[in-house]
Amino acid sequence: MYITHAIQKTLYAGMICCAAQSFTSCHTNDNEPSGNEPVGAFLLSVTGESAEYLLQTADLTQGEISIADNKKTLEQSGYTWIFNRNPSVAIGLIYQQGDPGIGLAYTVDAERNLQELGQFQISSRFTSYGFFDHYALTSVGGQTPVDSQGNALLDGGGNPRTDGVTFNFIDLNKSLALQEKTITTLNITGNGDQATLSGVVDMGNGEFLTGMVVSQPRDPNAGGGASTGVVTYPDSVWVAAFDAGLNLKRIYRDNRISYSSGRFRSAYYSQIGKAANGDVYVFSGSYETTTTHPCGALKIAKNATAFAADYYFNIGEKTNNYKFRKVWHVADNYFMLEVYNDLEVTVNTAATRYAVVDMAAKTFAWVAGIPASDKIIGTGLPTAYDGKMYFPITAESADPAVYIIDPASASAVKGLSVTGAASINAVGILTL
Amino acid sequence: MKYVSFLLYMFFCCTLCVAQPRGQIAVKGTVCAVDGRPIPYVSVFLHNTKFGALSDEQGNYHFTAPPGRYTFTASLLGYNRENKMITLHPAQKVTVNFVMEEKQHELDEVTVTGKSQVQQVNKSAYNVVGIDAKALHNATLSMTHALDRISGVKIRETGGVGSHTQISLNGFSGKHVKIFLDGMPMDGFGSAFQLNNMPVNFAERIEVYKGVVPIELGADALGGAINIVTNHAGNTYLDASYSYGSFNTHKSGISFGHATAKGFTVMLNAYQNYSDNNYKVKTKLLDLQTNSYSKEEYWFERFHDNYHNETLVAKVGVVNKPFADKLLLGVTLSKEKADVQNANLMKIVYGGRERRAQSIIPSLHYEKRNFIVPRLKFSLAATYNNARNNNIDTLARQYNWNNEYRKKGTKGEGVYTMGEYDNRNACVTANAGYRFAARHTLTVNNQFSRYSRKAADAAANSETASATISMRRTNAKNVLGLSYKIEINPRLNMLAFGKYYDVAVRGPINVSSTSVAEYEEQLRTYHTTGYGIAATYFPLRPLQVKLSFEKACRLPSEHELFGDESLETGDAALKPENSRNVNLNISYSHEAGSVHAVYFDAGFIYRDTRDYIRRRIEQRYGGAFYVNHGNVRNVGVDMEVRYCYKKSFSIGGNFTWQDIRNMEQYDVSGRTLIYYKDRMPNVPYMLGNADASYVFHDIFGKGSRLSLGYNLRYVHSFFRDWESEGGDIVIPGYLSHDLNVICAFKDGRYNIALEVNNAMDEIVYDNYSLQKPGRNMAIKLRYFLFKNKFKTF
Repeated sequence: MYITHAIQKTLYAGMICCAAQSFTSCHTNDNEPSGNEPVGAFLLSVTGESAEYLLQTADLTQGEISIADNKKTLEQSGYTWIFNRNPSVAIGLIYQQGDPGIGLAYTVDAERNLQELGQFQISSRFTSYGFFDHYALTSVGGQTPVDSQGNALLDGGGNPRTDGVTFNFIDLNKSLALQEKTITTLNITGNGDQATLSGVVDMGNGEFLTGMVVSQPRDPNAGGGASTGVVTYPDSVWVAAFDAGLNLKRIYRDNRISYSSGRFRSAYYSQIGKAANGDVYVFSGSYETTTTHPCGALKIAKNATAFAADYYFNIGEKTNNYKFRKVWHVADNYFMLEVYNDLEVTVNTAATRYAVVDMAAKTFAWVAGIPASDKIIGTGLPTAYDGKMYFPITAESADPAVYIIDPASASAVKGLSVTGAASINAVGILTL
Repeated sequence: MKYVSFLLYMFFCCTLCVAQPRGQIAVKGTVCAVDGRPIPYVSVFLHNTKFGALSDEQGNYHFTAPPGRYTFTASLLGYNRENKMITLHPAQKVTVNFVMEEKQHELDEVTVTGKSQVQQVNKSAYNVVGIDAKALHNATLSMTHALDRISGVKIRETGGVGSHTQISLNGFSGKHVKIFLDGMPMDGFGSAFQLNNMPVNFAERIEVYKGVVPIELGADALGGAINIVTNHAGNTYLDASYSYGSFNTHKSGISFGHATAKGFTVMLNAYQNYSDNNYKVKTKLLDLQTNSYSKEEYWFERFHDNYHNETLVAKVGVVNKPFADKLLLGVTLSKEKADVQNANLMKIVYGGRERRAQSIIPSLHYEKRNFIVPRLKFSLAATYNNARNNNIDTLARQYNWNNEYRKKGTKGEGVYTMGEYDNRNACVTANAGYRFAARHTLTVNNQFSRYSRKAADAAANSETASATISMRRTNAKNVLGLSYKIEINPRLNMLAFGKYYDVAVRGPINVSSTSVAEYEEQLRTYHTTGYGIAATYFPLRPLQVKLSFEKACRLPSEHELFGDESLETGDAALKPENSRNVNLNISYSHEAGSVHAVYFDAGFIYRDTRDYIRRRIEQRYGGAFYVNHGNVRNVGVDMEVRYCYKKSFSIGGNFTWQDIRNMEQYDVSGRTLIYYKDRMPNVPYMLGNADASYVFHDIFGKGSRLSLGYNLRYVHSFFRDWESEGGDIVIPGYLSHDLNVICAFKDGRYNIALEVNNAMDEIVYDNYSLQKPGRNMAIKLRYFLFKNKFKTF
């Protein structure tokens, strides 16, 4: 067996990192590795001209790898990859237009060979995803719920309802068995509207939190496939707590920020995340044009049943009122934001600027050392590891590369490049 | 097709007397059929001399000869030979007209008489293959399967009867290849009336234009065109057939035509296909408890793949009237219903999804020679298509390949829809050809089409319908073509043409500056040009050489000019996709006595295609957009060879090899592409057909025929993705064997055919993961009655 210097280094760093966290929250599904699992490989999903491939490498910090050295050509392309640490698994989620998708799961064996754990069918679409307990969880709103006979539930006007939210529970302990469950969200907040859910944050106590985008039913003829209609209360935020049985445990509500979800086409990007100490930060990118709130964030302290009244972070103040779309937890209290390039946000507005916020200190810094915003053709799903963010960026006239962002200094260095690829879709870690 | 080519030379046997010294006597005249219709390609010649000519499209001929007394003969296969004694005196002009009578009908001759048109097509300067569909009328083939036997053509099907079919012509497919029915584009006809559900009996002949497309087919075809020619004859005929085959497949068709002596004509053509398509496939099984797929593959019978379609085509009109050689009014009614068994990966299976389509297509066809002025030929054709397509996915269930299901909490196996699309398409083609100074022809062709689409989702809440629905989405296209043809001498003719394309697209577009979309109706226009030249030359009697060049283009579609209304931005500044196509063909045919006949054809194809319109998504720009990018070069060879012995034995085959490679070195942002010079992925590049048949004559009595036939289909395996990217998914190649026995009695009036297709039960894929039927059998009964009193072309 070979263990390169780089792996030894990262391994060591990983253990230190975990040791530092172990007395706070070294949750199995956290972004950081749990440490006693040695890094088996970094897995990259890359897209060529149209097909998607899986590559693996021992070192993300330097050098290059060719798309031709891929380990696997995927049958479908366009996967969303999420990585769990314990058990170590990379899960690929996909839905195709109108068709179910084939979910994939991979790990590495002791010889660091990529192993397919299985394939499962995702019959519902998904617009949001995350890990909860021993599940990979996805959800999609806007579904038409049915009665036990399979007939559509109808609204007051006799039209099929669209307030169904369908979850997929992918059981990491049971060979990725997938269970589909649907709840209805009509009047879930008591104001007659329905909800689309955004984000999954494991509370560690058998509950998960998810942001709610509360609206009237969507105009069925509007383009884009999103499930949100007219937002009646654009100055309010709701976060729901569910248990594993999808019982609604409580709703966190507040009027200091708008809803917590980043939107693009049919996607609802998670804007909630848990800091290392277990506090959950609920961000709002203020996507909705009608909101009067700047983008910002509130806090749900660990195990609290309401938003912290004494915490509000006006992020818009720091960005000169530029809104943000995506939020990722990096380490400690650090989060990374994807900020829009224009002040006015439309369905087509680009977002290729990145910043790091320290949510406890309420500090904000633009990330330096990455390609200029007008050179970024695409970005992939990043992974937090060793206190840093590993972020795939495809920039003009360059091979797609992983940039390593240090949140404390908000500076990045270029790591591994993939030659011959059009983009790196995701990067993640598989442990032995 | 097997009879197609080898007789070709017979039509040119007396054309080689090009030397016309001064002082000789001019001989001219017209060759007509009994009904007054001119007959082209008749050999007229003076016996035991080298003097003679071929009649042209108007039946006219002319040549010169020295004075003397001669036997003057007009000869064409399928017609009785006409002989006249003439004496040519010095300084005299002689006009001799022939009236030719068709030979008494036999099945053989049905095949042969149709040839003249097929041969005419094959003889033209275009790289075109004309197939006599009538030779295949005893087979249960669909039109697409008939096409699949032609060199350079590959049909890719997703399943059994009625499945989605892609027609690929020398590597081009989809928007790059245009399909026509009697010269009218089939794009708007709807899926209920397409080649994949049309029996081969529907056509009289099929013309496949590889590369250079004549102006008569007015469309922006980048990579060639296919024209299905139906029977426009004023014959009296009845063709009725029924077949039954594996997978509970029933196909029937009836075709009837009658023309009165006064010129009234009626044509009816009705056909239906029905199949359960319950063939077996090998795939993975979904466990409904865990939603996990099995690791192993198993065999399953398809259980939700029923397909049926019904079509009626009716035409009435007049022929051979002073005001019209032909005036026909018609209507096509067509509908289909298809269960959808699986997604584009076969392991994803459905139990309730279906699609339906119906089309109503009125049509008009008018033709007149000597229109207003002599030698001006005019034709006008118009169709109005009203096609409706439905996609239905409403079941709250999830199925697996065991035909078991679990209940779901929401509507739809995939995405809940009762989606309905109404497409309306009007198309008018006018064509005028003027022949002057005997050897020059000027042709103008204009085709106007207007397409509109309305989408409405019946599953959607009608009360909240938005303004976009009421806005028009239309696409008006005009293609004007001009061509000039000159017959420099009987051995050489050339033509040059130009095409002018004009497009106007109207539709809603998002003009919002907020996160809420706002629509406004806009109009965008577009125009471009194309041109080409073609020549054909007969250097020696059995040898023909064709050379053609075209700068062809494919206009941006509505989507590409407009975007998808909400999230994409179209671009009116897009260039058309364009291609420079060069075709070189050499064919040779020789017959030794009437015993041996050989035919050989080799075609060379070069294509340089640029400015592909590609959809791009770049994060720095927000939504998706379209750019011109890419350069693909295709160097290919098609070959066909055939040998026939008497009227009994025939063996032949064709082979296509095409080297289609990406010649774009850099991507849009300037990076080197790893697949520079790679072979285009997911395109079959080496394929072929072979066939052999033996016919026993009169063994079940006079006028009977027993034919034993064999067909082989070969496709080499190909990669789904770029090889240089390291893609390792391969679509396997295959060798598939078909056998048939055809018994014909009473000169082809009664026919029984037995077929075994894919006799070795090969696992066949045209597309990744989508398995096609294994071994299948069919029996076909056919009654065919033909009276040739008023036969016309």
